[in-house]
Amino acid sequence: MDIKASLSTATSAARLALAGVERTPGVIKQDAILTASGVRREFGGIVAVDVEHVEIQRGSITALIGPNGAGKTTLFNLLTGFDTPNTGSWSFNGRSMEKVASHKTAALGMVRTFQLTKSLTKLSVIENMRLGATDQKGEKWWNGLFGRVWKAQEASITERAEELLNRFTLGHMRDEYAGALSGGQRKLLEMARALMTNPTLVMLDEPMAGVNPALKQSLNEHIRGLRDQGMTVLFVEHDMDMVHDVSDWVIVMAEGRIIAEGTPEDISKNPAVIDAYLGTRQGQSLLEDE
Amino acid sequence: MDWSLIIENSIKGFIGINAVYFAVAAIGLNVQFGFTGLLNFGQAGFMACGAYGLGMTAHYFGISMWWGIPIGIGFSVLLGFLMGIPTLRLRADYLAIVTIASAEIIRLVVRSVKFKTYFGGSDGINGFSDPFRKIGDDIGIVQANQYGFWPLRFTGRELWTLVVGWVVVAIVAYFVYLLMKSPWGRVLKAIREDEDAVRSLGKSVFSYKMQSLILGGAIGTMSGMIFALDRGSVQPDNYSRDVTFYILTALVLGGVAKVSGSIVGPMIFWGIFTFMDNFLRQVAKDPVHLGNFTIMKSTQVGQLNYMLIGLTLILLMVYRPQGVFGNRKEMAFDGH
Amino acid sequence: MLFLAIGAVLSFSLGSAHASDDGYSIRVQVRQQQRDEAGKTDNQPIPSVTVFVTGTDGVEIGRLVTDAAGIAIFELPHKGDYTVTIDESTLPDGQKLDAGTSSSQNLLSDSFVTKTKVVNFFTGGSQSVSQSLFERVTQRLVDGVRLGLILAMCSVGLSLIFGTTGLTNFAHGEMVTFGGLAAFVLNISGLSFLGFLSFIPGIRPDGTFHILWAAPIGIVLGGGFGWALNYAIFGRLRKRGVGLVTQMVLTVGLSILLRNFFLSRFEGRTRPYAEFTLQRAMEFGPISITARDLIVSILSLIILVSVALALRFTRLGKATRAVSDNPDLASATGIDSEKVIRLVWILGGALAAAGGIFRGLDEQVSFDMGGRLLFLLFASITLGGLGSAFGALMGGFVVGIMVEVASLVVPTELKATPALLVLILVLLLRPQGILGRAQRVG
Repeated sequence: MDIKASLSTATSAARLALAGVERTPGVIKQDAILTASGVRREFGGIVAVDVEHVEIQRGSITALIGPNGAGKTTLFNLLTGFDTPNTGSWSFNGRSMEKVASHKTAALGMVRTFQLTKSLTKLSVIENMRLGATDQKGEKWWNGLFGRVWKAQEASITERAEELLNRFTLGHMRDEYAGALSGGQRKLLEMARALMTNPTLVMLDEPMAGVNPALKQSLNEHIRGLRDQGMTVLFVEHDMDMVHDVSDWVIVMAEGRIIAEGTPEDISKNPAVIDAYLGTRQGQSLLEDE
Repeated sequence: MDWSLIIENSIKGFIGINAVYFAVAAIGLNVQFGFTGLLNFGQAGFMACGAYGLGMTAHYFGISMWWGIPIGIGFSVLLGFLMGIPTLRLRADYLAIVTIASAEIIRLVVRSVKFKTYFGGSDGINGFSDPFRKIGDDIGIVQANQYGFWPLRFTGRELWTLVVGWVVVAIVAYFVYLLMKSPWGRVLKAIREDEDAVRSLGKSVFSYKMQSLILGGAIGTMSGMIFALDRGSVQPDNYSRDVTFYILTALVLGGVAKVSGSIVGPMIFWGIFTFMDNFLRQVAKDPVHLGNFTIMKSTQVGQLNYMLIGLTLILLMVYRPQGVFGNRKEMAFDGH
Repeated sequence: MLFLAIGAVLSFSLGSAHASDDGYSIRVQVRQQQRDEAGKTDNQPIPSVTVFVTGTDGVEIGRLVTDAAGIAIFELPHKGDYTVTIDESTLPDGQKLDAGTSSSQNLLSDSFVTKTKVVNFFTGGSQSVSQSLFERVTQRLVDGVRLGLILAMCSVGLSLIFGTTGLTNFAHGEMVTFGGLAAFVLNISGLSFLGFLSFIPGIRPDGTFHILWAAPIGIVLGGGFGWALNYAIFGRLRKRGVGLVTQMVLTVGLSILLRNFFLSRFEGRTRPYAEFTLQRAMEFGPISITARDLIVSILSLIILVSVALALRFTRLGKATRAVSDNPDLASATGIDSEKVIRLVWILGGALAAAGGIFRGLDEQVSFDMGGRLLFLLFASITLGGLGSAFGALMGGFVVGIMVEVASLVVPTELKATPALLVLILVLLLRPQGILGRAQRVG
């Protein structure tokens, strides 16, 4: 099939680009969309994140893994401006982001989802989607009063939203309150809504958590689909099957630091990684995890 | 027991000027609290901005009363920034604390001897509303005349403010209705539920909250103006903390996050309040005893009524936080 | 049981409390307000001044001349409304009534909270001798410490309740009032069915309690009130998972309900406790303070230090702070957070009641004595850091001193304004407060 073919092409392109990259933590990539240096965050004396250097390859799917409490979500929060580090600098598309407010990162093309889904349950599914669109004229209150100023734009936003909803198999839920969706559907909705912002970098925090196995497969395809449309994906995940299935590159964190980088295959053989997991997971092998 | 008087007064309470100025204030509070989830406990402060904006025109500035409208709105915008800048980035409680404090300080300042020249001290300001009254007389609602029939009888003086008041309610309600149907309103409702989600979608939550606070406050300012015009005077103690609380009760009664709720709520609030007040006053003409114990004296009727307001608010919060007519699915004070 | 006790205290209004109409009197005191050269107050009694009392019908009940202590006592035929008038022409040469004292004062029947009603006439102005700046500052500092101690006491509970449950309690002021009024009921109105206890020193046959009894009982009742609020309302709401904003709006309703209940039972005036109302100021260098205020301050300090020590060193205290710091972590480590929350409500209620009683001794009691403090309490806990008990102690102290010292610069009627200023500045510069844990600021 065409889709399969194009999928595999993009996979190999991303993998090819990363093939020659050294397998060391904090390694320099040839075309990084996001780079961070010296990012450190302490909570009352406990170091949650202490990343010396990290780069995310453009056009790839990068997985960020590590045991609980490794600082993955905190790093997400720091990079997207939802938290402020004690020290550190990072840039997105060559633009320094330290002083950028969280809402502006999305406007610059860096969008994130949350570990605990934040679908707005008191809004309908389609309203959730419309909310994602940026630069809406009707979001200025003085325009909001006059339907003719924003109705046309709203119609085109709705069209795009419906397209995305269909792609994410949520089309039939269009007019339901988001509160009526299942946990997995909410994950899908949140991802689809994030895409409404037309991002170049999509950061997903545990997209598989709470999703039933039947949906997982299609979620994987959606994520590959994002990359194939030219987006970069960075995701935090515990589900090792998914990490193996979809990621081109894996970054491993433990105790706030980055301890390993490499392809999924390299990582599963990396003794440092197995140690890190064994240390906290009482004998469960990384490979046998789920 | 004079039922005809009780009925007449209750109906007047239902649609009277108290319901009007509460409705306008509640519509403003609804923008903040109902739609955006902002705990503005200082709506009385915004109302004072409007009342004193009007009152100070002739009393202090020496200009026409009509300038009071932009002046009052200007005050409320300033107040909105004052309250909003320190608090709107923080968790919701801080706004509640700062608004309640600011409103109280405003009341202390306007009633102070120190600033009597500006605000008239505890006596307030009188005699500024003639230009407004004159229009009523000119269009034929003459102050001294009686209009209507039982149970709807008004003096021209009452009728004129009522007509203007309900027109303002209609305009403001339509204005807010349009806004809440727009993408702007959608952002507010999303903020009410989860501001991090909105932030992650690239919208400045702080800016929207500020807009909501100021817009709701400016509407509250109009409420203060209506009340001041009706009374023909501005009294500092009409803008106490309790006024905000009663407006909040009326709003919750009608149902938050619905424009209609913020009109119906105050009407029911004042309808019932006036009924209870009139009814109990007639019951308590002689003190009511239970054995040796005095249950109620006529001087306690007011307090009993206010206790009922408090109790109503408690019961609503326990059993029906969305209000009598609110929709649980659409409404959430508590985002998550 | 506790509910019964609380109910009994609350349901006693003044009106129903007077056992008999006999033996009422008015005690008139005429004094000259003076300050000596150092600026210390030194009020002198004025003898030989004519005063007379008239009834509502204008008929004179009696006419007396003040004795050497400047006092004249009128026995009254019955409780009722009276007017007390001073004959200004009989004042010593060169003296006239103080601008704040009217030559005739009306007494309403209801103002006989005890059988003796005191009426004061002051001559001379207290401003006649000016104090040095240093003395004014020290005096204000002392007053500030007194207010600060009371604020600290009241705000610990408010802050701990916030810390452990996340609830901002807008009815906390009414918990303060509750204490002040509960002690007042015991002290003045009396619980006649407890008259049989009169063999105990300090309990009188009419069921009134000396303030030294009324105060601790009031504090215990305050703790019970806090427990009852948690048991009857907030504990249940937490169990049902009712959101914090809903609970917060509920506290607004509770505040309206309680305040108007207090108003309907105790009416709008401020009233003193029976004991320690008239106190002569003692002088310590530039500071003048009455023995009562000194004792109250020392007691407050003892209470606060014990609370601080208990929070620091006892197991429950540590558990309380753990729940405040991180409820999830605390419950993960096996702390029974409901038990801690219950304790916090009891402690908060008791401390608020203590604050109310001490405030009542200081400034007399009224139905909204706590409600008027609420905004200062919020300023205190915000300054100290929401949720931190030690922060609340420190914040209360700082706000109290600041408000009193500010009255050197701003008019007394506006002395609360700096508290708003501090509130806003703290939120702008350090929103977590002095001792609060840093929160994410979006």
